[in-house]
Order: sequence, then structure tokens, then C-alpha cells
Amino acid sequence: MPSWSDFEPFIVSGLALGGVYALSGVGLVVLYRATGVLYLAFGAVGAMGALIAYSMIQAGTPGWVAWIACILFGGVLTLAYGMLFGPPLAGRDPLVKAVATLGLTLILFGVMDLLWSSSGGQARSITLPTDTGGFTVAQIQVTWTQVLSLGLGVLLTVGTGAFLQYTKLGTGMRAMANDRVITATLGVPVRRVEAAAWFGAGVLGGLAGLLLADLVALDATTLTFLVISSLAAALIARLRSIPVTFVAAIVIGLVHDLLTPITQLTDYRDMTPFVLAAIALLWVSRHGTVMTRSREEA
Amino acid sequence: MIEVENLTVRYGGVTSLDGMSLVFEKGTCGLIGPNGAGKTTFFNVLSGFVRPVSGTVRAFGTDLLALPHFRRARWGVRRTFQTEQAIEELSVYDNVAMIDSPLRGAAARADVLAAIEFVGIDAPPLTRVGTLGAGQRRLVEVARAVAGKPRLILLDEPAAGLPGEETAHLAAVIKSIPSYSGALTILVDHDMSLVSAVCETTAVLDFGKLIASGPTASVLRDEHVMRAYLGTAEVL
Amino acid sequence: MTQTTAERKTDTTAAGLGWAALRRRDNLVRFSVITALLLFTLFGLPQLLSLYYTDAMTQVAIYAIVALGLGMLVGRVGLYSLGQVAVLAIGAWAAARLLFATTQPFPVVVVEAGLVTMLLGTLIGLPALRLRGLYFALITLMLSGAITVVLATVNFPNGGRGFTGYDGALLHIPAIRRPSIAGTDAAYFRYAVVVAIIMFALVFAHIKTRPGRAWAAIRQSEPAALAAGINITFYKLWAFALASFITGVAGGLLASADRFLYSITFHPQDSITLLAVVLMGGVYSMYGAVIAALLNSLLPAALQDWGVSQDWLTILFGIGVLQVLTTAPAGIVDQFPKDMKKLGRLLWRLVRRPVTAAAPATPGAASASAAPSASGASRASRGGTT
Repeated sequence: MPSWSDFEPFIVSGLALGGVYALSGVGLVVLYRATGVLYLAFGAVGAMGALIAYSMIQAGTPGWVAWIACILFGGVLTLAYGMLFGPPLAGRDPLVKAVATLGLTLILFGVMDLLWSSSGGQARSITLPTDTGGFTVAQIQVTWTQVLSLGLGVLLTVGTGAFLQYTKLGTGMRAMANDRVITATLGVPVRRVEAAAWFGAGVLGGLAGLLLADLVALDATTLTFLVISSLAAALIARLRSIPVTFVAAIVIGLVHDLLTPITQLTDYRDMTPFVLAAIALLWVSRHGTVMTRSREEA
Repeated sequence: MIEVENLTVRYGGVTSLDGMSLVFEKGTCGLIGPNGAGKTTFFNVLSGFVRPVSGTVRAFGTDLLALPHFRRARWGVRRTFQTEQAIEELSVYDNVAMIDSPLRGAAARADVLAAIEFVGIDAPPLTRVGTLGAGQRRLVEVARAVAGKPRLILLDEPAAGLPGEETAHLAAVIKSIPSYSGALTILVDHDMSLVSAVCETTAVLDFGKLIASGPTASVLRDEHVMRAYLGTAEVL
Repeated sequence: MTQTTAERKTDTTAAGLGWAALRRRDNLVRFSVITALLLFTLFGLPQLLSLYYTDAMTQVAIYAIVALGLGMLVGRVGLYSLGQVAVLAIGAWAAARLLFATTQPFPVVVVEAGLVTMLLGTLIGLPALRLRGLYFALITLMLSGAITVVLATVNFPNGGRGFTGYDGALLHIPAIRRPSIAGTDAAYFRYAVVVAIIMFALVFAHIKTRPGRAWAAIRQSEPAALAAGINITFYKLWAFALASFITGVAGGLLASADRFLYSITFHPQDSITLLAVVLMGGVYSMYGAVIAALLNSLLPAALQDWGVSQDWLTILFGIGVLQVLTTAPAGIVDQFPKDMKKLGRLLWRLVRRPVTAAAPATPGAASASAAPSASGASRASRGGTT
């Protein structure tokens, strides 16, 4: 059993990772509530944005321009998907809408492998200026990137909560989550609110992609499937509560990284999001859903 | 005979059925009342979709509520719904054969075909139900209701959305159900002419409570019933 | 031997039910065409194809079974499983382990692999079935992800000892054995096709009898199914068990087809691709499973042969998913049966003309030749008797 000092660096990295998962998870939840679409292409969008940023930097563009491009790419692509495929699928089951986003994931996957082939050549990476420099807390090294990741996670969770509660647009999104048709009859500009939700989620996707590319690896497959961790956090929150999404995301990030120094379990640490999400799903359904006294949502 | 005693159903804060006590003798009985009166809820209790907070239902001597919901069809409960529930992908034959009947083998097959014949469906048994019109689909559901030795048939607004002549045919079919199958039939509908043509006795629900029951003709003239439907004290 | 009107109405043979269905004209045509195609596949194809494409077609046979299982779950019962590739991996693992550790005959091992997979599938299915729609799909994704990680860590058996049958230090890794009668690639292809036919027949038998009716009812309307006395959980579990069994069998075939198993063969992305091709092929029909397998296993091989990147295929599948979901839920295969029916009718008309010319024009002969499949024709004859 490893000692405390072996765990220490992983507490920090786990928190940083958890912060990014939180930011993605919140994006997933808000978009789901506003449109009924569980955006499974979230990770792929971020991955492609990061790859675009990488290529731009390789070509000589200043870093900050590339990062903004990455974030904007996420927003614009997601908005385009939402505007194109939102309406025809609007009345369908959430399952169908989610599977449709898998279609987008496949398309992005193919494009990424085509343009940024993973076979041969050296590994790619993204470095942010915040990687160098940091500080030490109780003998643990902390980079500014890690602070940024956790900080953004916290900021965006709180900010999104406030946005939904206090702004007109946010209230519109909450109304739509409740009932889209009635919201429209109230005079809320439904299409505009939806577009904002899509764009916002996409921006978060691009941001998450950038940070994860820095913290983990700039690899299309890895980044695409990291969305599972955010998804797990969102599912634990029953796709509803933003604070729970945040907490769950942090826990997932922490547990995953803290398993690293434990030699018997380290190979299995990638199971963390899957196992936690499965447990959460089963726990939520423990009373069964076949015709009971009152109707409940899935 | 069906004996309902003190049946109460609650959904959160809403009491759908409030201490309902009623006896259904035999033949065809009507169950009417304004929207939200609890008629469909009552059917849901009989089908086993909803558990009552209190009360008992004894059907032909059996404690019906003690049976799990998927066993009730085998026992003999049959149900049609307000919204269409004929399975489009299956043939007429398969839709009717779907019912969990105590019959087996050749007897079961003959019984299914006889039920299809009884309701008078105007298409071969192997026709896909998806290709049939609304009236024919309703008949498929009724055929399902009379197949496999039914004991209690619950018809929930079977004529809803049907044009006049198809309603007339449906009424004739429903009227002959007791003689064909020997089952006790309860009919819920808003079409008073259908109810008076088909049901010997009728019960009336309002806000989950029983407000009248007896021979159909007198119940339909009862002033309490009028008030419940029209919401005024005017006696017509 | 004339029947009374009442007897005739309840005569299942006259109604064309059960085995009598074979006598129906369009079923006869369909049956003949399929038999001809299968015979050609078994005996004609291996002669015509190179070894490379024979191997690809073996993969097609294997993935046709997997696609059948997934199509059955999605199309018949409405359960979207996003983890069928993990199920396939379990079947392959079990088969490889047994093939290395025992000397049991190949067919026995394959069936055992199917049973093991079925058992695991049912155990996992039981709690998962309480979830509906989206949540069910997500839990299959989660569970299969977990399984994939375990398999990547534990590795596939390579002839080593111990429970996992994996020895990382082995210098010479033995190939997974094949059935004694089907050692060559061409022979193994035929073997795989025969197993696939058996699996398809098994599923077909289910669909045409009580489980199939129950599944159709459950998919469209659970209240109606419940009211008909169908035990929904039981039938959903049965569907799950059947799909797991056949996928496990497919896994067994895959182990011997590939001869060496690596975790990269079962990439998590493949579960998504599988769902994509099954949707594109058409979930409502068994032919769709074959089309799905051709998309999944033949096209990539062909593209590789022609030097075209397989990424284009991934993109195509993504577009296919979007297209199927937004427009045609029945997939590519929707048109096919309709076209086949038209072809069948055409052929029948060509065959019948010389036959009826010879027969005497009596009312008896007329009613005998009025095949009950065309509803318009029979309605006319029934209208005559009522």
C-alpha cells in the first residue's frame, strides 16, 4: 500500500481533472435540460478543436489565437449541429436524439483520423503557458494549469447556476427544460434560447478539449472518450442538478487519479467513470419503473 | 359478480377514487362520469397498473387485487384503452393471439379465429394491422377482449373517434359479448346513446365518488347525474 | 370433403397459419430465393473469391450474427444496447480459453461460449432492465466500457496457464485451434456461414412464435402488453438472453477465425459503428443484419484493398446514422422486401399463365387458385359468401 506522499501529487491532478469534468458535465446537463439532447459528441468536438489549435500553433499562429479558435470552433460546430438536426428530431425520444449525436461523433472521428492521422510520427501535444510555473502546497507541486482547470470548473458551475437563476436567457432555458411548448406560448424566443444553449455547450466543449489535451494527451480517441467521465457525473446528478454534477465530477477525477499509485488497481482505474455511473444509474432505478402509484420520469 | 368495497386511490395530493363501493351483477354495465371522475383509474386498478391505498375487489369469488398484474389476463381480465393499442406490426391474428389465454394448441387457434369472426373484421386474419383503418383496429382490440375465456371485460371509450356507422356496428358487437363469452362487461363512454343501447345497468362517478347506480334509463335521468355533467342545478 | 362455412372460418390451414404458411405463394418464392442465395454463398463464393476476400466474408458471417442480435434488441424490443462488442469480446474470450484448456470438440466449445455469454448477459440485464430508453442505453455503454477495460488488462487467452490463460512471457504464442473439419480458410468460411444460418433460424423461430408477438407488443405499447397478460420483464430478459447467446457464439467463431485475439479487435468505438450499421441496414428485418455485416466487415476490407482510407467509411456511417434517424427509420432494407415481392409476383404470373390455360374453368378450380395472400382478392371472395 503506497504512502501518503505517493498519493499527494494525484490529489492535485485529480482535482484538476475533476474541474474539467465538472465544466463539461455542467455543459451537458444544461444543454440536455434545454433541448432534450444528451450531447455525446461533446468530447469529439473538444478533441477536434484541440487538434485545430495544435495545427495552428505548428503553423506559427500565436498561442492565444489558436486557443480562441479551438473554443470558437466548439461553439460554432455545436451550434450548427443543433440548428440543423435539432428541429427534425425535436419531437423524438431523448434516446433517439442521443444516438443521433453518436452519428456526429463518428463523422468527427473519421475527419480527425483523416486529417490528423494517429499512425506513425511523434505524439502531439498542447502546452499552455500556465504549465510552467506554479507553487508548492505542503510539498505538493501545483501548476497554474491545474489551478486554472479546477478554478474554471468552480467558476463555471457557480456562474451557470447564477446565469440560469438570474438572467432572462437562463430563465428561458429553465422554462424550456420544463415544457418546450408552453414556454413558446409564453413568448419566450425558443429558437434563440436553444441556439444559446447549443453555442454555450459547444464553447464549454472546446474549452474542455483544450484543457484535457494539455492535462492528459492530445489524442483523438482519448479525448473523445473522456466525455464518458463528464457523462458519468451528469448521470449521477440525474441530468438535473448542477451542484451534484460538480461534486460527482470532482469525485470521479479524484478517484481515478488516486488509484494510480495502487499497483493492484492501477490498471483498472479507467473503469472509474463507468463503474460509478453504472452504480448511480442502478441506484436511481432501485424501486423499479414498471407502473407504480404515480408516474415518474425515467 | 364483481364486488368493489371502499376503494381509494391517491396520486400524490390528488384522490382519484374516494371510498368507492359498488357491485356489478352480470351482463353489460356502464360506467360514466365527467372527465377526471376516476373511471380510467378504476380500470387501472382492475388491470393492476395502479395499487389502491385501501379497499378490496372480489371478482367471482377471487380477490383480484392479490393477483400480480400479468396474471390477471390469464385469470380472465380483458382491457381496451382510450387510445388505440392494436399492435401495428403484427397481423390481426397475432394481435388477438397475444392474449395470455388458458387454451392451448388447436383449441387456442380456433378460439382466436372465432373471436375475429365474431367481431366481424373485414380483412383476412394475416393482414398487418398497420394497414387497417381506425374502426377495424378497434374491432381487433375487441376481438382480443373476447378471446381466451374472458371473465371480466373492460372497455374504455371504445367508440372514441369513430364515425356513426362504425359506432353502430361496434354497439351491436358489444351488445352480443355477454351471450358470446359469458363475461361481465363494463363499458366506459361519453356517448350516452351507446351506453343506453348497450348497458342494462349503469353507475356514475364524480370526483372519485359513486353518485348513482341502477338501471341505465333511470340513472341517465337522475338529477344528481345531470348536475355532475352540466355543473348546474338545472333539472332538464 | 367440403367444410361448413363456420368450420372453414376457424380452420387455421385455410387461413394460412403455422406451417401452412409455406404454401402461400409469396412465402414460397421468398423461401426459394433465399435457399438459392445461401447455396451459392456456401458453394459458389469460395471458388470465386480470393483468400483475402474469403476471410473478409467470414467476418461478415460472424458480424451478421452480432448485427442480428443487436437488430433484434433494437428493432423488436426497443432496447438500444451500446455495448454489443463487449459481449462479443466475452464470447471470444470464453471460447479461446476453452479451446486452449480443453480438447472438447469445436461445436461444443462454441455453444459453451454462447451459454457463458448468455448467463453473463442475463445477470447484467436483470438490474439494467429496470431502466428505460436512454438510461438503458447509457448503462449498457457504461458496463461495456468497464468490461473493455478489464479485458484490456487481463488480456485474451494465449495458451498460458491460470484462470486468465494469459502468459505475457510466452515467446511462441499458439494459434487458436479450428474445427477438425474446417481447418482451411475456405472451409472455415463455410463453417461460419452454416453456424450463422443456424443462429438466424433460431431467431426466426422466436420471432414467428409467442416471444415475437410479445416483443412486438412490448415495443409498441407496454400497457397493451401488460393488459394482455404478457410478463414484460420476462420477455425483455429472454430477448437479452437470446441476443447474448448468439453474440457469444459469434465470439467463439471470431476467436478461431482470427486465431489470435487482441484487445484492439474490440475497440469501444466499434460498438458505436455496429449500432450505426445496424440502423443503416434496417432494424426491422433480418436481411438488415446481413447488410449491416457487409457494411461493417466487407466494405472496410474492400477499401483497404483499394488503398482508400477507412476513415471515409467512419464518416459515411456517421452520416448514415443521422440520415436514418431523421428520415427513414426502417433503413436501406426497407425497399428491398418490397422490390422482392414485386419480383416474386412477376415470376408467379409468368409461371401461372401456362398452368391455368390447361385447367378447366370451374368455380372449384377458381377458388382453389385464388391464393389468400392478396387481401383484395380474398375480400372479394369472402364478400361473395357473406
